[in-house]
Amino acid sequence: MSEPIELEEEEFDATFSGQTVRRLVSLLRPYALWVVGFLTAVLMVSGLDSYFTYLSKRMVDEGISAGNWDVLVQIVEQYAALIIIQACAVFVFIYLAGLLGERIRYDLRQRLFNHLQALSLTYYNRMPVGWIISRVTSDTDRVAELVTWGLLDVTWSSFNIITALLFMSQISGQLTLIVMAIVPIIIGVAIYFQRRIIVQYREVRKVNSKITGAYNETITGVRVIKALDREQTNLREFGKLTGEMYRAGYRAAWYSALFLPTVQLISSLAIASIVTYAGVTASSDGLSVGGMYAFISYVLFMVWPVQEMARVFAEMQQAIASGERIFSLIDAVPDIVDKPTAHDVENLSGDIIFDHVDFQYEAGKPILSDFNLHVKHGETIALVGPTGGGKSTIVNLLCRFFEPTGGRIVLSGHDYTDLTQHAIQSRIGMVLQTPHLFSGTIRENIRYGRLDASDEAVEDAAKLAGAHVFVKELEKGYEEQVGEGGVLLSTGQKQLLSLARAVLAQPDIFIMDEATASVDTLTEGLIQQGMDTLMSECTSFVIAHRLSTIRNATRILVIEDGRIKEMGTHRELLKLGGHYHRLYTQQFRQEVVGQVDELATLLAEADASVEARPADGRSNGKVKADLAFAD
Amino acid sequence: MINTTAQSTTQPEFDLKQTIGIGKLHGFWVLMTGFRGKYLVSTASMGIAAIMNTVTFLLLANFVDHYMLAGARDIHLAVYVAGFLGLAVVQAFSTFNSRRLAAKTAEGIAKRLREYLYDHIQRLSFTYHDKTQTGELIQRATSDIDTIRRFFADQAIEAGRIVMLFIVNFAAIYLLDWRLAWFSIIIVPIVMVISLFFFRRVEKAYEAYQEQEAKLSSTLQENLSGVRVVKAFARQEYEEDKFDVENKKKYARGRYLLLMHALFWPITDILCAAQMLGGFLFAGWMTINGEITVGAYVAYAGLVVWIIWPLRNLGRLIVQMSESLVSFGRVSEVVKEAREPVVEGSVDGERPVTGELIFEDVHFAYAGTDRSALHGVSFTVKPGQSVALIGGTGSGKSSLVNLLPRFYEYTSGRILLDGVELKEYPRHALRRQIGIVEQEPFLFSRTVRDNITYGVTRDVPDAEVEETARAAAIHDVILNKLPHGYDTLVGERGITLSGGQKQRVAIARTLLKDPRLLILDDSTSAVDFETEAEIRQALSRLMQGRTTFIIAHRIQSVMEADLILVLEHGRIVQRGTHETLVEQEGIYRRIYLAQTRLEAELEEELSNV
Repeated sequence: MSEPIELEEEEFDATFSGQTVRRLVSLLRPYALWVVGFLTAVLMVSGLDSYFTYLSKRMVDEGISAGNWDVLVQIVEQYAALIIIQACAVFVFIYLAGLLGERIRYDLRQRLFNHLQALSLTYYNRMPVGWIISRVTSDTDRVAELVTWGLLDVTWSSFNIITALLFMSQISGQLTLIVMAIVPIIIGVAIYFQRRIIVQYREVRKVNSKITGAYNETITGVRVIKALDREQTNLREFGKLTGEMYRAGYRAAWYSALFLPTVQLISSLAIASIVTYAGVTASSDGLSVGGMYAFISYVLFMVWPVQEMARVFAEMQQAIASGERIFSLIDAVPDIVDKPTAHDVENLSGDIIFDHVDFQYEAGKPILSDFNLHVKHGETIALVGPTGGGKSTIVNLLCRFFEPTGGRIVLSGHDYTDLTQHAIQSRIGMVLQTPHLFSGTIRENIRYGRLDASDEAVEDAAKLAGAHVFVKELEKGYEEQVGEGGVLLSTGQKQLLSLARAVLAQPDIFIMDEATASVDTLTEGLIQQGMDTLMSECTSFVIAHRLSTIRNATRILVIEDGRIKEMGTHRELLKLGGHYHRLYTQQFRQEVVGQVDELATLLAEADASVEARPADGRSNGKVKADLAFAD
Repeated sequence: MINTTAQSTTQPEFDLKQTIGIGKLHGFWVLMTGFRGKYLVSTASMGIAAIMNTVTFLLLANFVDHYMLAGARDIHLAVYVAGFLGLAVVQAFSTFNSRRLAAKTAEGIAKRLREYLYDHIQRLSFTYHDKTQTGELIQRATSDIDTIRRFFADQAIEAGRIVMLFIVNFAAIYLLDWRLAWFSIIIVPIVMVISLFFFRRVEKAYEAYQEQEAKLSSTLQENLSGVRVVKAFARQEYEEDKFDVENKKKYARGRYLLLMHALFWPITDILCAAQMLGGFLFAGWMTINGEITVGAYVAYAGLVVWIIWPLRNLGRLIVQMSESLVSFGRVSEVVKEAREPVVEGSVDGERPVTGELIFEDVHFAYAGTDRSALHGVSFTVKPGQSVALIGGTGSGKSSLVNLLPRFYEYTSGRILLDGVELKEYPRHALRRQIGIVEQEPFLFSRTVRDNITYGVTRDVPDAEVEETARAAAIHDVILNKLPHGYDTLVGERGITLSGGQKQRVAIARTLLKDPRLLILDDSTSAVDFETEAEIRQALSRLMQGRTTFIIAHRIQSVMEADLILVLEHGRIVQRGTHETLVEQEGIYRRIYLAQTRLEAELEEELSNV
């Protein structure tokens, strides 16, 4: 957990194991025929490109210079036929290579996603979500690009250069040797430039993300900026960033701008050689007009394959590094694996026993040590105590998100490592502190608890959880979209829905991590009602923040430093006058404090409704009662 | 404190407002102010490069006719070679220079746009920020500006190059033979139409493809952030299927996109090749008939390529350029919003204030709503006094304090600070006199030290920063709890300050600013008893000698206030001190009693066990 994770994708090692390359190639294996198909097509296209120049030479020499119209027509006919064939080949390679790229993207992403589902929570604690997302999205893109278009471009380029040289040697062997001396120089220069250009653009991207960050901060913090009169200083600071951006952007453009002219300048040396050779041998029946024309065309055209090749080689490093990261994810082994003999069970409605349980993430830093607890079926256990004391760990162990490093956990008489994870987790209902919803409708989100539930069952669950009231007031009711992560709903509403989801699951064990952020009293009342329903039917563990929950628990555990400090009912613990006594008074005071606004709002509403119409029937038990008393 | 006149000097010198209210293309022209010379040279260089390219082929024709095939050679071979090399050098230099200058222009324009927009955004009123989404605004400031940059850097110059190549080469062929010239461009309109049509569709298909990619990413993101829910309900297979659906859809869209490309390129290949071969035949026929020379044929064969093939890309460029216009429109929408004037005002910004405040029948409604947030509010505060505001959600507490720094303008009535109406104060000067400590203060992702000194422009010695931090009861936390002490970056991964810590950093920030007026939100986040006492002390140090407005959430802080205002639906329904209000029938008394009863209940419960 402590090892730093390299978030900068730009940094990569220049040395790669052959292993990675071999595995990258193996991605193509299922589609060997496609690869053969597009490579054949591209070889045809590339060879024909070279041949066309040769045909043009023949047109000049055999047709035009010779004044032979019939031969000219004949060559043009041949040329036209080959163009049609080439066009077909172009269609084949674009479509096949592109589709194969999409296919590999699809395969890799599905494979990564499925593997991620199997990985344990510890992996997620170690890796930030953003890191994983770039593995699945941009890394797969780069790899797919390399094994399809990269492979294609290199094939086209190298074959094009080779065939061009072959045709050249048909025209003049000596001149070909001169051109061949220049080609490696061009390739070297091209690779140098492409590397530099990539480095420059990486810099641009880096500065760009800083600029985006600055905008973001300024917009979200605009109130403070205005209040503190910071506009001048901010603009000055931002000016430094845009200055950096200007320099980075200009440098990148500068290198790109210099690249082509440089290569063209070098090839103009080749052209000068060709002209000199043609001039010198003109009188001695050496290079023909068409031959010279063909040579110049070949040299001029050669810039493109060279550029393509250099680009692929420059990008290859990054793509292989991407491949390495993808494979590292695929190779990650889940920490928690079902035993081969693991079995399913009817239900888990029995006692829960923590038997001398130890747990630690890192050796030497125990979170729980020798934790013992026997919970009878139907009990409600409230876990209270300071953050980092071990409350969440207990819950995570119970869900088998982690397994004990020592001791065992027994569910309904089974050591839970003898059961499948599915057996355990499908019988647990969970409500998190920050409720998580998936984009989709409200109905879909509740149904997440039990996929085969009928619409009626979904609505019943919503009613039990107290969510029905607000859902039916929405325009589309249960068909209303919740937005990405549920952004269209309030926190309280999200909590009610996640409660409904847990109710629908009909769990044997119910786990709730109560929200610390206060929701309005009305919603809180509804949540309470829903929880009571659930808790009456199963064994419950609640990481409790609300007084009512604590008071209603059959047992309260005060957890601190990975141990049970105090255990008992509300009254028993208060009598002790220890940790719980302190926690309770503090918690209580905060709730009292939180009520001033509520009270004021309610009183205002009451005043308004007295004027307008009789108070509506919606009751808000606790606060109303408090007010009644105050009157 | 800096003087207000500094503003005009560091502000971006170019006012983008000039680009508003004229056509978009005209707007682009105005945008180029200061760069037009460079861009003109860039365009001219591109033209020179095109001409050099063409001249090379004409020289080749001359070489063929007057050297290779001629008996008598008047010109020495070395002259030809030198000519070819010279042309290549000029062409290479022109190309480089054109690209370089275009980049300089584009980056310069982008820099100016970024800075202008940044400054503009931080100077727009709250009324604007309230109704605008952050992501939307960021997109305009980043990707839309980048689209405009590409217009100048690549698209316009590339389109110019294609057009120039066309003209120059057409002219050159025209010089060789006029019939050949017209014959060579028969295909041009057809290819243009096809390419325009194609790229317009491809653009749409590509957008759909990208959209699906975004959807796939967000499905993934949702799955990853909800991993505990997925596991808790054992829904792995369900999630895999869900992802597969989106993944397949993307594959299908990619396939459609590919099909379009796979059709466009070979079809236009054939068209262009047909034109080229036709030209070869025609030119060959003329050569054989002796109407043009062999050299002219060779030159023609070299030149005609530059007329035909680049045109296929013109469609792409036109589509992209039209998108830049859309981006420019989106940026303009932000630019045309009015800035909040910050220096205008008749009061001398340097004049110190004592902090006396008088509200006279103040009314206020948020823009775009007809319901007023404040309704005839009147009260007086003497310098150094504290005012507690109490009331429920929507009672007008926040609206009232938001008027003080002129975040919003009251619609009628008067607010007098030291006897002068608030509207007479320049906003900058006014805000310099006001300190705000919010419930969940916003800290910036810089070091803790920078956050504390964020509100002052002078250099603050370390000793003073620490002294301030001590007064704000945060010094020990910074030294002992944060990995790099005062140099710890706030918001860095793993380092998050708790609500109570943030609040104390904000107190330190305000102490250092040393304002005359204070606005406090008194709610403390969940902190333990000792910390809370420390925060209370820090707050009372901060309030010392300053006129203070407290948005009160607890009776305790209200009890010590010099004036309590109870608000309801934007009106003051009760006013007075704690002692007087407790005696009166009304909301305050009811809240107070409810609270004391709860406290008593607690005491009772605790004593009864």
